[in-house]
Amino acid sequence: MKKSVLIIAAVTCVLVLNACAPATFKSESAKSATSLSLLPNWYHENVGYQLMGGNDYPSNNALANLLMEADSAFMQADLQRCQIFLERAQRIASRDAGVYVRLSYVFWVLNKTAQAEQMALRALAVMADDPQAKLEIERLLAGIQGSRY
Amino acid sequence: MKKVVRSKTQVAISWFVKLSLVGVVILAVLMAYLDAKVRDKFEGKRWALPAKVYARPLEMYPGLALKPKYLKQELEQIGYQRVPNVLTPGQYMIDGNEMDIYRRYFSLFDGEERAARIHIRFSNNTIEALWLDGQPVDIARLEPLLIGGIYPKHNEDRQLIQLSEAPELLIQTLVAVEDRDFYDHFGISPKGIARAMMVNVQKGGLVQGGSTLTQQLVKNFFLTRERSLKRKVTEALMSLLVELHYDKNEILEAYLNEVYLGQSGRRAVHGFGLASQFYFGKHISQLTAPEIAILVGMVKGPSVYNPKRKPKNALARRNVVLGVMLEQGLITNYQHLMWSKRDLQVVQYSQYQRVEYPAFLDLVRRQLRSDYQDQDLTSEGLRIYTSLNPVIQRSAEQAVAKRLSQVENGYGLAKKSLQGAMVVVSHESGEVEAVVGDRNPRYFGFNRALDAKRSIGSLAKPAVYLTALRGDRFHLVSPLDDGPIKVAGSNGKLWEPKNYDKKSHGVQPLYLAMAKSLNQATARLGLTVGLSNVVDTFKDLGVKRNLPAYPSIVLGAFEMTPFNVAQMYQTIATSGFQTPLKAIRGVTTAKGELLSSYGYAVKKTIKTEPIYLLQKIMQKVVELGTARYLNSQFDESLNLAGKTGTSDSQRDSWFAGFSGDKLAVVWVGQDNNKPMPITGASGALRVWAQTFKDLPLKPLYPLATQNIEERWVALHHNALSAQGCEGVEKLPFIKGHMPTQTSSCAQKTELKSWWNRVFD
Repeated sequence: MKKSVLIIAAVTCVLVLNACAPATFKSESAKSATSLSLLPNWYHENVGYQLMGGNDYPSNNALANLLMEADSAFMQADLQRCQIFLERAQRIASRDAGVYVRLSYVFWVLNKTAQAEQMALRALAVMADDPQAKLEIERLLAGIQGSRY
Repeated sequence: MKKVVRSKTQVAISWFVKLSLVGVVILAVLMAYLDAKVRDKFEGKRWALPAKVYARPLEMYPGLALKPKYLKQELEQIGYQRVPNVLTPGQYMIDGNEMDIYRRYFSLFDGEERAARIHIRFSNNTIEALWLDGQPVDIARLEPLLIGGIYPKHNEDRQLIQLSEAPELLIQTLVAVEDRDFYDHFGISPKGIARAMMVNVQKGGLVQGGSTLTQQLVKNFFLTRERSLKRKVTEALMSLLVELHYDKNEILEAYLNEVYLGQSGRRAVHGFGLASQFYFGKHISQLTAPEIAILVGMVKGPSVYNPKRKPKNALARRNVVLGVMLEQGLITNYQHLMWSKRDLQVVQYSQYQRVEYPAFLDLVRRQLRSDYQDQDLTSEGLRIYTSLNPVIQRSAEQAVAKRLSQVENGYGLAKKSLQGAMVVVSHESGEVEAVVGDRNPRYFGFNRALDAKRSIGSLAKPAVYLTALRGDRFHLVSPLDDGPIKVAGSNGKLWEPKNYDKKSHGVQPLYLAMAKSLNQATARLGLTVGLSNVVDTFKDLGVKRNLPAYPSIVLGAFEMTPFNVAQMYQTIATSGFQTPLKAIRGVTTAKGELLSSYGYAVKKTIKTEPIYLLQKIMQKVVELGTARYLNSQFDESLNLAGKTGTSDSQRDSWFAGFSGDKLAVVWVGQDNNKPMPITGASGALRVWAQTFKDLPLKPLYPLATQNIEERWVALHHNALSAQGCEGVEKLPFIKGHMPTQTSSCAQKTELKSWWNRVFD
């Protein structure tokens, strides 16, 4: 009985301390990885990878807002509009891999494979060291290099 | 005898008939010709509408670093009025850390933004929260500043309106003042001519004309200002034809759009639509009675009665027109009394009384040339949306002018002897945000930013060091000999570069040789890595011209324009991803249909790892090298990077520097290419610092890969070392490309550490 009370007290202490701890700093690359993990369903469904993500966006964020608009334009097959939203997103978050992956995909669909490849390379460069995301972009790159969409 | 007389009469009659017939035929031909001319003008395109060029729309979102004073500056530039209570679009108010803006409706190439109330809360010069019509939002845009037009040769500008948009009072006043019989005559008014003659005889000179509105329109449309009988007759005939084909409303609408109403610099203000915006900052439909009186009064003499330049004349003329309005029953006695005492109330600064940006417009025009003909740009009323940032542009203009004057005063140089140019780029998107082509930024002439080809001096050095880092022989602490060097040129002449201080600095680690901009060490390095390889690196950095593989290219003994230098440094600033610099985002027709958009493009031309090392060296240039002045002016945490450049005999002063988001290239020199008493650090670098001193910059974090690792090294021994040893620094290296030796201090530390691990 005494032992279980001690365990509960210890766990409670750990939880309280954890809740009071300052938020950990996220590096630029970590932010990129987060954004990449939030790639929309259309991307995963079309590319055929289900490694991560779904239609989930960070809340209250200008970048998320523009990405949502871009994804919506993509779903309506308005690729020009989609591209314009992505470019606005790129201006305010130029190191977000999610923006470049989407751009790459849009260019690929438009059969502009050279641009699609370059966008994927840019995504890879700003991605830094997230192995899972890196794998995803490398697969996209291989897809672009291997065939026309 | 009788027969002869009859015969003479008959002959005379016969000649009269014949001549009349010929006259009728000539008149018919003339009328047919004039008719064709009139119909062609009226039924074709009546006016050449210049393309309108806009700056970028300000994109606002929580987290955006934006000083309220710059938002206020931009609002004033786009013609918003500060008021105590915001009630209509085009107004704003400031209340402590909060700002309320009633945004006007506007369209862009990528859509429209409705009129809405934007509420902003600031905290520490950053937008903390944003509301649109009371609802919290993530992002909101402000209408872009109109920054200029691409005008036809006659520089006419106008904003077309339809008759229905003009207030009834304007039409009534115009008719009352200029042509009271307008609705009754057939183009010319004998009654009006008689009235004018009477007045002129009474006054003993030409004080009133008898021209109808139709005649004035015909004169402006088709004829010159020549005062001759021939022109008067042609004017009368054409007026008859205009009235024959078109109804009064069509004629009136054409008149309202055609009439000349003043000058704004090189731009001629035509039509009541543009004049309403230009003088009062409002749409024609919102004009008040006294404003109508001012504009109608100007028709008689746009220069003499210009309310901005000749306010006394304009006030007197307005009151004359108000008198006519009273006489005609258009206003009451009370209104007349009240409005006659009112000030002119013209706006001093409106969106349409714009400051133009000649150097930037020049770039826009050149970039449009590949897709549009000059005629399209000057006549179709196209809307061109660009990336110009008015806040940065203004800061750059002021910095160039200020520093050049300081240098001239400080060194006793003749006033206005120096010139300058600057290009500011958002390097990640490749968008040009500001261009300065002359120390007088309003000058429409030689654009040094795009056309001044000047020797780039040490700005070439990053290409030499990058060439070295791309290979496998060099790393950041590779020893470079800065001893004297002599190279025989192909023409038999010796090339013997010297350092700026005329001294040699012995053996230096590679990164310090560049940070200190050592010429002898760099020349030796360039020759070691191979001139053709250096030329290839220049190409990969975006230098399009064919550089000869001469030794002197490693020290920048070749010419480039500031704009081309900016392209080269853009590739460096974005980690080897080259984006063609562009000033245009999109083009639409006058009605807003998208014609073309100019999207983001990129090409990886340099591997990430060597460019990472180069960026690190360029940060050292700012930290401890020739650009260290920046560190005294900016927060060190910005990690700024850059390179100074001074050409032979100090004829050119350069600086190219970048943060995490902005890149700017500055050139200072003399048009006659004479030497100056300044270097890159004391001239161009100071302009860069002055430009960005008060603007938000993002910190620069070079993009690393897993192939990069940081190691402690003994700087002057080309050896790996350890923390705590003397003369060591932690520097990045590409895996497999680092010193192979280990310093004795590091060996001892390692041994100690091993000992401690085992026995402690």
